[in-house]
Amino acid sequence: MSGNELPLPGEMAFGEALKELEGIVAALEGGQLELEESLSRYERGVALLQALQGKLSDAQQKVTSLLGELEPEGDEE
Amino acid sequence: MSRGGNLTAVVEDRALSVTEAMTSAKRALETVSAHVIGEVSEFNDKPGYKAAYFTVADDGAAMPCMMWRDAYVASGVDLRCGALVEMHGAFSAYVPKGRMQFMVKRIALAGEGVLRIQVAQLAKKLEAEGLMRPERKRALPTFPIRIAVVTSPRGKAVHDVIRTLRRRFPLAELLVAGIIVEGKSAVTDIVRGLEVAAKASPDVILLVRGGGSYEDLMPFNSEEVARAIVASSVPVVTGIGHEPDTSIADMVSDLRVSTPTAAAEASAPATAELEQRLDKLSRLLGRALQHRLQDAAHRVRHLAQRPVFTDSNVLVGQAAQAIDMASVALRRAIPERLHRDGEQLEYVRKMLSTVGPRVLERAGDKVAISAARLGDLSPLAILDRGYAVCYESDGRTVVRSVEQVKAGDRVRVRVSDGRVESVVDSTEKETK
Repeated sequence: MSGNELPLPGEMAFGEALKELEGIVAALEGGQLELEESLSRYERGVALLQALQGKLSDAQQKVTSLLGELEPEGDEE
Repeated sequence: MSRGGNLTAVVEDRALSVTEAMTSAKRALETVSAHVIGEVSEFNDKPGYKAAYFTVADDGAAMPCMMWRDAYVASGVDLRCGALVEMHGAFSAYVPKGRMQFMVKRIALAGEGVLRIQVAQLAKKLEAEGLMRPERKRALPTFPIRIAVVTSPRGKAVHDVIRTLRRRFPLAELLVAGIIVEGKSAVTDIVRGLEVAAKASPDVILLVRGGGSYEDLMPFNSEEVARAIVASSVPVVTGIGHEPDTSIADMVSDLRVSTPTAAAEASAPATAELEQRLDKLSRLLGRALQHRLQDAAHRVRHLAQRPVFTDSNVLVGQAAQAIDMASVALRRAIPERLHRDGEQLEYVRKMLSTVGPRVLERAGDKVAISAARLGDLSPLAILDRGYAVCYESDGRTVVRSVEQVKAGDRVRVRVSDGRVESVVDSTEKETK
């Protein structure tokens, strides 16, 4: 599997990266992969894991308004 | 009784029977009509009764009421304790028991009472459709990355959600669909808010508002909102703060909690839990690879023990068999070759058979001459002419000199037809 075809873990959405990581663990646990494939999946898994852990520790809340204007807290009182 | 009183009894100034007195009171009461609102505090509707009997009260007073069964059934009202009712009627008295009562001519549910009944009826209807069945409710995503909140953009509720999610799961993007949650346009606004939120494809939608009066919460009891929640393509969590009341929205939502904060908590994992999950995945990943490597090593070991590596015949056998096959093919191929060569041989043979005899005839002549000469040279032929040969006692060494023998030695004399075994008598050397 060529690294070029896969998005960089750091650029992936958390959910996607988590899903891929879970898929990799499941595939490795399945034991059906070629050894070389297992190793490259493992490397990919480690990269995903690091990206996910990094995202969690760096997370900044993002709030987007779909409808209406959000008023700052305390305005109404 | 005082002077100037105008009751008949007083004017007549005679004692009345109890019946007369009560009948007189009844007539007087029946002149007092009233339009009364109050809460039903007791209700007695036994099937055999000709009338429904109930008590309507407020904080300061209680009023026994009765309504003829036909009129009550015609009103369509299903009375129960706690219902707020509006009644038209007149006072009266039940003479045999001396009991004052309000004769209800018309009755209707009023205010919140009406609302509650309506809500209860809608709840019954939606429940009959199966919309509240637990198996219809969808599971919430374990790790929502986009969380939409449908609520008023101002006020405590939306900020409770924002604050809770910032603390608990800042990774989730929060999409706020700000809507009007009270008043006439609230129902359409909530429905629109749910639609707009679902269109943004979040993992979960939180429909929340802070506490309010029962009437304030009525939009969350509407059929339209209930059906919008049911139709939502995204799971909906309701946090409509009005304990102990449960709104219709709560009943049909995928998860119902009591407050906006609780809704935010229910919708997202704590970061700490997620970190634990990643730790677990990390362990599983390592273990899975280790197993894979062990498996590969095991297979290699297993292969190494296979006969092909331990018994050379298995490997060479195939080559040997190939050789056998080749030799069969060769054997089949060789006669063909021979057949071709045979023709050449036949030619050579013919040549030999014609040329050969001539060569041999000449050779034969030569051999005959040579054989004759050989006969001449043979010592045996000389013996035929009367010569003899003397050998020493060993029978091989020819005696050519007198010095080879002495008196008493045995010698063998070969003549043409046999041997003469002899003993030397004496020797005498001739002088030349």
